[in-house]
Amino acid sequence: MLVNGKSLGAILTHSPGTTVGVILVSLHLLNALFAPLLIPYGETQLVGQPMLEPGHANFLLGTDVIGRDFLSRLMMGGRTSITVAMVGVLGAVLIGTFFAVSAAYIGGFYDDVIMRIVDTKLSIPGILFVALFVVGFGRSVTVLTIVIGLSYFPGAVRTIRSQAMTQVPLAYVKAARLRGESTLSVIFRELTPNVVEVVVVEFAIRTSSAILIVSALSFLGLGISPPTPDWGLMVSEGVNQIYQAPWLILFPAVFISTLVVGLNFASDGLANALGLDAARGLHGG
Amino acid sequence: MPLLEVKDLRIAYQNPSTGEQMLAVDGVSFKVEPGETLGIVGESGCGKSTLARALMAYCRPGGVIVGGEVLFDGNNILEFTDEQIRELRGRRMAMVPQDPLTSLTYHMKVGPQIDEILKIHQQLGAHAARLSTLKLFEGTNLPTPEKSYGRYPHENSGGQRQRVVIAGALACQPDLLILDEPTTALDTTTEMQVLKLVKELRDRMGTALIYITHDLTLTDYICENVLVMREGKVVERGKATEIFSAPQTDYGKMLVAAIPRVDAAFPEPAPAIDKQEASTATPLLNVENLSYRYAQRWSIDALFNPQQEELAVDNVSFELRRGETLGLVGESGSGKSTIANIVVGLMAPTSGEVAFDGASINMIDKFRSAELRRRIQIIFQDPLSSLNPRRRIESILTRPLKIFFGMSGAAARDRAVELLEDMELSADLLKRFPRQLSGGQQQRVAIARAFTAKPDLILCDEVTSALDVSVQAHVLELLKGIQNKTGAASLFISHDLGVVKQVADDTVVLQKGHIVDAGTTRSVFGDPTHTYTKLLLAAASRREDYADLSTAAPTTAGALRGR
Amino acid sequence: MLRAMIRRTLLSVLILFLVAIFVFLATEVLPGDALDVYLSEDDVAVMTEEDIEEMRHDLGLDIPAPIRFFTWLSGAVVGDFGVTIVDQIPIGNIIFHPLLNSLQLGAIITLITMPVAFAIGATAGYWRGQRTDAVVSTTTIIGYSIPDFVIGTVLIIIFAVWIPLFPAVITAYNKAHPMELLAVSLLPAITVIIGHVAHLSRLLRAGFIETMNSDFVERARLSGVPERRIVWRHVLPASVIPTLNAMALYMAGVLSGLIVVEKVFGYPGLGIELIEAVDTREVHVVQAIAFLGAVLVVVMNLLADFAIIALDPRVRSHVSER
Repeated sequence: MLVNGKSLGAILTHSPGTTVGVILVSLHLLNALFAPLLIPYGETQLVGQPMLEPGHANFLLGTDVIGRDFLSRLMMGGRTSITVAMVGVLGAVLIGTFFAVSAAYIGGFYDDVIMRIVDTKLSIPGILFVALFVVGFGRSVTVLTIVIGLSYFPGAVRTIRSQAMTQVPLAYVKAARLRGESTLSVIFRELTPNVVEVVVVEFAIRTSSAILIVSALSFLGLGISPPTPDWGLMVSEGVNQIYQAPWLILFPAVFISTLVVGLNFASDGLANALGLDAARGLHGG
Repeated sequence: MPLLEVKDLRIAYQNPSTGEQMLAVDGVSFKVEPGETLGIVGESGCGKSTLARALMAYCRPGGVIVGGEVLFDGNNILEFTDEQIRELRGRRMAMVPQDPLTSLTYHMKVGPQIDEILKIHQQLGAHAARLSTLKLFEGTNLPTPEKSYGRYPHENSGGQRQRVVIAGALACQPDLLILDEPTTALDTTTEMQVLKLVKELRDRMGTALIYITHDLTLTDYICENVLVMREGKVVERGKATEIFSAPQTDYGKMLVAAIPRVDAAFPEPAPAIDKQEASTATPLLNVENLSYRYAQRWSIDALFNPQQEELAVDNVSFELRRGETLGLVGESGSGKSTIANIVVGLMAPTSGEVAFDGASINMIDKFRSAELRRRIQIIFQDPLSSLNPRRRIESILTRPLKIFFGMSGAAARDRAVELLEDMELSADLLKRFPRQLSGGQQQRVAIARAFTAKPDLILCDEVTSALDVSVQAHVLELLKGIQNKTGAASLFISHDLGVVKQVADDTVVLQKGHIVDAGTTRSVFGDPTHTYTKLLLAAASRREDYADLSTAAPTTAGALRGR
Repeated sequence: MLRAMIRRTLLSVLILFLVAIFVFLATEVLPGDALDVYLSEDDVAVMTEEDIEEMRHDLGLDIPAPIRFFTWLSGAVVGDFGVTIVDQIPIGNIIFHPLLNSLQLGAIITLITMPVAFAIGATAGYWRGQRTDAVVSTTTIIGYSIPDFVIGTVLIIIFAVWIPLFPAVITAYNKAHPMELLAVSLLPAITVIIGHVAHLSRLLRAGFIETMNSDFVERARLSGVPERRIVWRHVLPASVIPTLNAMALYMAGVLSGLIVVEKVFGYPGLGIELIEAVDTREVHVVQAIAFLGAVLVVVMNLLADFAIIALDPRVRSHVSER
């Protein structure tokens, strides 16, 4: 596969940081995919004494506050938030691409309306935005996924639209219009292929940001609910045992951090390799 | 002792991802005596701009001087400390860059940006620096020095900005002034004024000049000696007049021959295609009293301040007969591209009538029939941006065949190959992406695409101005060839009088949306009636009497202010 | 210039109106009214239709949604967000002190973040591609990748559990004296600052590099202008202007960060109120906090626009010429 004349391999090993990032992300994804086959105990089963220390003969990383196997919970703890983040952001970016490109091409009132909606969402801080939906629609994985999608939709529209705006005035678009291509054909056939890099980088960057948000929500008690294991949730469950069992906090903290660090290194390398500026695409959550 | 001596200079650019080095300047040596004017000429990518900066011991990011010496007053400045070189720059050697708009700091007023140089090198106080700057502005013929001083860069016109930058370069009366394509961003008439100014200042101050340009006619006008560069090497050197009149190398000959000159002889008239029929039948394109005004975008500000934009095209009439070529000449802002956009259907006229083959085509493209869209095709200025970067050449050429003629598969492919052959391109290109082609090849593909539709009228909007001269000549020849073969008429828009003279049967001269001169190309070029046309011709042929014309024609002063 | 500012202000008012509609729609209209949201299934099981209707009437929820919206909005403009469902306490009273406390913490964070991010971004940008830059780039990526709640809890483990310098949980009350809060703000502030400095300095680095590569910097260098003057006089203003709007948007990020650290450290601010309100399903409190958050972001954005209008002469004259 070639992107901008670069092979995928060359992109993924663009710099040492990128390589580290790609390795971290691969390990996490493999773990998330195969964890159900690998875990020694059921992640919600009570299997031993509460708060056994790591290094226990039967429980490698000990047990949690109520006696569930900590290793099993850790290994399973990323699945939900990764899925929610990826599905939500993928939806946001795909639908966002259509709105972004069409707004750039059609312009005028249509563009104005879309951009005012975008501005509106960008004015509501991320966690407050989610809180509104959680209090209104209740807490479930479905609601969470949709809310993540809605959260990232406007930012995606803004970034992709500004890329599309650089393409719209170009002569090849005029040429397409003049030979009678329909509006949809110009959008999908001519413009969309020319914003693909931005869409890919957008997806990578936003996914890591979404994982951060989902885990922060779970930590706050607004996201994934017990007994589903989730790293954010596990940190908040461990806070009461902070003096007796700090590892209950430290292990999930390391897992969530390595995942997001890896994702950000990988997407930064991806952006650099594609000649885009990752820093400009980021927005505060 | 020469003022500047360059010995075997080599400069490389490093590819950031692979670390490979590419030589941009490859073993260049030359001397400049005090007060001498040296031209360095070459086409894009020949390394002339890189060389110009290296003369001041400067490289753009990614560039490295890998060998050689630059001796200024006998000292190798490449070995100077940062502080030594900083004291040299702006004081003893200065540069006038290509684009004055981006070269001035946009958030500072222009006056203080010149004061800055004086304060640094001559330790002037604020007041003294200001007075010196105003004097410099006067010296560079800025019409209102006081006003210009307090303006931001974007508030000055292109010509004014270039004068400001020249004033800055001359602030400390340097011994060597390097000009890097200083007039490329300007209209021809403005360019002539700036050139005259540079000449005058040089004669007055005795400064040595190094003039970097792609345009051999300029070096002929302003330089004593010339270096011709190609792919990082000097391929020819000598007296400017000699190189221009009798180039020695093949490359030099080709370069000189390719220049479309306004003072060249008229081309042999093409065998007329049924002239009688042409003169009696209705013209293919008939434009009558056409006007266009850009619509004001709706905004809250517009409510506060309702004022109408000026007419971009003002009451323009002309006609174009079948199979002929009509040249539309003018500087930026003359409305020539607006006319093309109206004819092709990207805009609708504000008033007036555009008729094609006897029927009105005042409507924009979406209200036009597919047949009408097929019959009028356009070729754009920038070849790269007119081809979708994500489509292969095959798809670019076969798509219109499918839309206009329902052709697909092998038939469409064969037709595409045929068109490529007309453009002297090989069928191998079908599998390539536009970026993998050279600029000339891209434009030839764009021409081929326009002719897939078998058009009756082809609009050429500055089709060669993005190309190097040597490529331009070939592309024009191919364009003329396919036009003769298919019998398509052409509306040929250009700011370059030399090109128009070569290709057009009739010529219309536009100034600020008005027609100032029109007729057969022979009569317009041979016996211009309007002063503005004379001015354009004088500027384009670098004639010395240009200045007399421009002072004799005060009514056109407005047009000279560039945009 | 004035005209441009008026235009921006009107646009901001429009955005706030749209935010208000959105906040109202998301919580009250789409999922049913505030009472439907408030009542759990258990509540519904033990209450009769009449009870529910009576409660609905008491809360004014039987009035049509558009009318309720405008009543709510006209109250919100003057700081009256209605009363809580359970105790009928005015929401303004509940959130007033936490709001001030959060603003104080947010102001501390912003005042430290901006100059620090600036210095780091400009340093990394100036020595682009060199070791300093590589170190900064790597550190900043790590900095904004680690969740706020992780940084916060780890800080507690280090500075409260292992080295007991600070209490693990802040015990100040809503109405605590600002100075008392200032004393306990150190760890919460650091927590948010780390991530935001990382983000902002990357943004500024990008703007700085872009400007350093511009033609006008080259002209200044080739005129012999000293490097220090180029950076301060030519580059810095030009590299800040394009990042101002993005900086304002980061305020949204600071607010999200605040909510998290308040929970981590038990800082008596809006975040704690918000989480409690979500738990007890006090729809109107959530509405009020979300609306206030948006007001803050819009105001910051407007200030950024004003700053751009003041700093960039091109924006200024473009607006007044047309």
